[in-house]
Amino acid sequence: MRLECNGLKYTYPESEVAVIDNLCFSMAGPGFNAVFGPSGVGKTSLAKLLVSQKDRPDSRILAPGMETILYSYNQERLPGWSSTGSHLDRVCPAGKKKLKQDLIEIFRLAPVLEARFAQLSMGQQNRMNLIRYLLQEFDLLIMDESLANVDEALRETIILAVKAFFPGKMFLYISHNLMEVAKFCKEILVLSEPVKQKGSFMVKGRDYCQGYTLDKKSFDATMLEIMDAF
Amino acid sequence: MSVKPWEFRQWPVVILVIFVLFCVSPVRAGAIKVNYRLKWLFNTSVAGDILAVDQGYFKTAGLDVTVKEGSPEKNAINELELGYADFGVASADQVIRALDKGADVVVLAQLFQVNPMQWIYRADRPEIKVLGDLKGRHIGITFGGNDETIMRTLLALAGLGEKDVRLSGVRFDFTPFLKKKVDVWPVYKNSQGVILADQLSREGEAVYFFNPSQFGVNFVANSIVTSGKLMKTHPERVKIFLKSLLSAWEAAMDPVNAAQVLAAVKKKDSQTPDDIQQKQLAATRQLIKPDKGIRIGVFDVGAWKQTETILLNEHQIKGPVGIASRLIAQERL
Amino acid sequence: MLFRRIYQFLIVYCLCLVGLLGIKQVLGLSDYVIPGVTLIHSTFGRVSGGYFLDVLNTLSVTIFGQIISIAMAFTVGILGRKSSWAGSFIKVMAYNIQAYPIVALAPIIFILLGDGFISRLLIASMICYFPLLLSVLGVMAVPVKDIEHFYIATGRMRWQLEVKIRAFENLSKLTTVIAGSATLAMAGTIVAEFIAANAGIGYSIRIALYQSDLAGILTALFYIGIIISVYQGMLETLGELVKTKWSAPKGGELL
Repeated sequence: MRLECNGLKYTYPESEVAVIDNLCFSMAGPGFNAVFGPSGVGKTSLAKLLVSQKDRPDSRILAPGMETILYSYNQERLPGWSSTGSHLDRVCPAGKKKLKQDLIEIFRLAPVLEARFAQLSMGQQNRMNLIRYLLQEFDLLIMDESLANVDEALRETIILAVKAFFPGKMFLYISHNLMEVAKFCKEILVLSEPVKQKGSFMVKGRDYCQGYTLDKKSFDATMLEIMDAF
Repeated sequence: MSVKPWEFRQWPVVILVIFVLFCVSPVRAGAIKVNYRLKWLFNTSVAGDILAVDQGYFKTAGLDVTVKEGSPEKNAINELELGYADFGVASADQVIRALDKGADVVVLAQLFQVNPMQWIYRADRPEIKVLGDLKGRHIGITFGGNDETIMRTLLALAGLGEKDVRLSGVRFDFTPFLKKKVDVWPVYKNSQGVILADQLSREGEAVYFFNPSQFGVNFVANSIVTSGKLMKTHPERVKIFLKSLLSAWEAAMDPVNAAQVLAAVKKKDSQTPDDIQQKQLAATRQLIKPDKGIRIGVFDVGAWKQTETILLNEHQIKGPVGIASRLIAQERL
Repeated sequence: MLFRRIYQFLIVYCLCLVGLLGIKQVLGLSDYVIPGVTLIHSTFGRVSGGYFLDVLNTLSVTIFGQIISIAMAFTVGILGRKSSWAGSFIKVMAYNIQAYPIVALAPIIFILLGDGFISRLLIASMICYFPLLLSVLGVMAVPVKDIEHFYIATGRMRWQLEVKIRAFENLSKLTTVIAGSATLAMAGTIVAEFIAANAGIGYSIRIALYQSDLAGILTALFYIGIIISVYQGMLETLGELVKTKWSAPKGGELL
């Protein structure tokens, strides 16, 4: 299982500036990885390209061992004609009911299963959306700001649970939260702004799992390494 | 050697001539502007009205008359009252209904001595010689129209009820009659009647016309009307208008002038074929001036009173309107 | 909502009537041109029964016509929502045909089909079909990315689900256009009856016009206004019920 880009370049139609220019990186094996960078640097564009261009013969994206790549983002909505609980029931594959129940508990969504999606808070909406993706079959799940509007403590709980429940999968966590990516991610693809001309580079994260002990010195060093890109 | 425009010395003379011609044009010679609303579209039925403008009858009389076409939505009596028209053409039932509702309208002349509203039927059916022959026929009527009123009067006179005949509402097209779904179809004899008769004769079918007046039902048709107010305030204008209009009608109904009349009508109604227009003019002549001795515009007072009685019996007016007092003979003007 | 529509109509009607009577008074017009209060009252009493039944007759044609129209518009709109050749063709055809005044075709329809119920039904359907179709096309052709993405990404998208999502997300627009098309259908049916039918309130208005019976026409307009107000109010109420039942209540409680 590997995710690799070799000189990926992309320019939006009617734009003269490439949003992604000569991007090269490689992420090996399952793991909770991240894409980090300031707004507008191309994180979401990269995510969409990973999904759309993976199987093209001339693609600069290689994903051996990964059949299914799913992309979820924080503005998705569930249909409003039924409760969120019944929607989850409908999209939950056979044999994953236990997983569903566990995720609902961990994500603290049990009290809102009878509610319609529009009645949930933004944080609850994002968590509900993430659960339904986690229930599907995938090799790589791209989580684009999927935990926005969720408090820090619960975000930590969720990320640790995801890592524990899906050890054999690869995740690409798109986030602006430096501490979070530094703490919990295995590999971090840091994208810098084109004007800074620092390109992109990989940083090894601390990859903490459940029951971890924070090593402050190495944690700070990781964050510094990431910050160096800006 | 050609003369350049600015060297032409006769310019002042030319300008003066143009100015004089413009000044003496009847339009600028104090001609009285008058609006005249007809009952229906321009066609042969209004030949006299068309000729009056085309041959300058109004202009000679010092009138600048705008003749406007009618339609189902336009009502000459409404326009008289609202001031949009000075004169109009209305049927007797319109006049009587208006009087019943308090309108101040007077009748200056009765154009049709014989009502053109008749019924056409194929000659392969027995001829309707007495009113009882209507029994069992499928008869078309325009619900709400005066042909319905006439037919109901005829049926009452014949002692026939609605169960003795079959009445169907008619529309603008002749399809039910042409498809023989309706036996007896209402037409204006001098316009639609001519067209239908012609169409059927091409297919080898002869027709009869059922004329209510031959059975004692005289329902007066189109007449020239004006407001009582105009009569009081401008009697001379009314007299001049009527005299010139009726002169035009006399000329229009004279067979000697047929070619001229048809040419004038053609300018207004270019859609109807020439041969049909010729037949329509002949039919109109028989209805407006059925006899050479009859002066166009004369009132058949008995027919007017009968029309009033019919409308009263059909509960279309609340009470008698004294129609005879509203008929202003030309001599009285 | 229903009650409000009725009294709004009554206010407008009474204002117009007062305006007409004012014009009558100022210009000194006879009852022939503008009927007075007494004539209007007596005519109202005379023709009310018949006109009320006529309006119900017209309304029945309107309702059936609208139902057919809605069914056709949704069918064609759903079929035409894709950016395929068929979808583009349907859109262009709908835009072009809706420019034609359908009532102008009424005489031809009556000639071909006679002046019975079917002709009136066809005209009522055609009148409100094209605006409905364009609205449905507009709704069905625009993806609701935020909801559809999950289903497309996970291979669960079906055309039925796509239609359901887009209809649900545009429910307000759809119910508004359906309620609005009621007026269109009613007006079109009345005009068609006026031109060439043998039943309905439009036909009665034509008869009243032949007889220069403006009081009768005013009575007809009164009944038309009342019935269409009731009908539209019922449609709007129904639309609100559908929205309430199908979607989350507005201002839902945050947990």
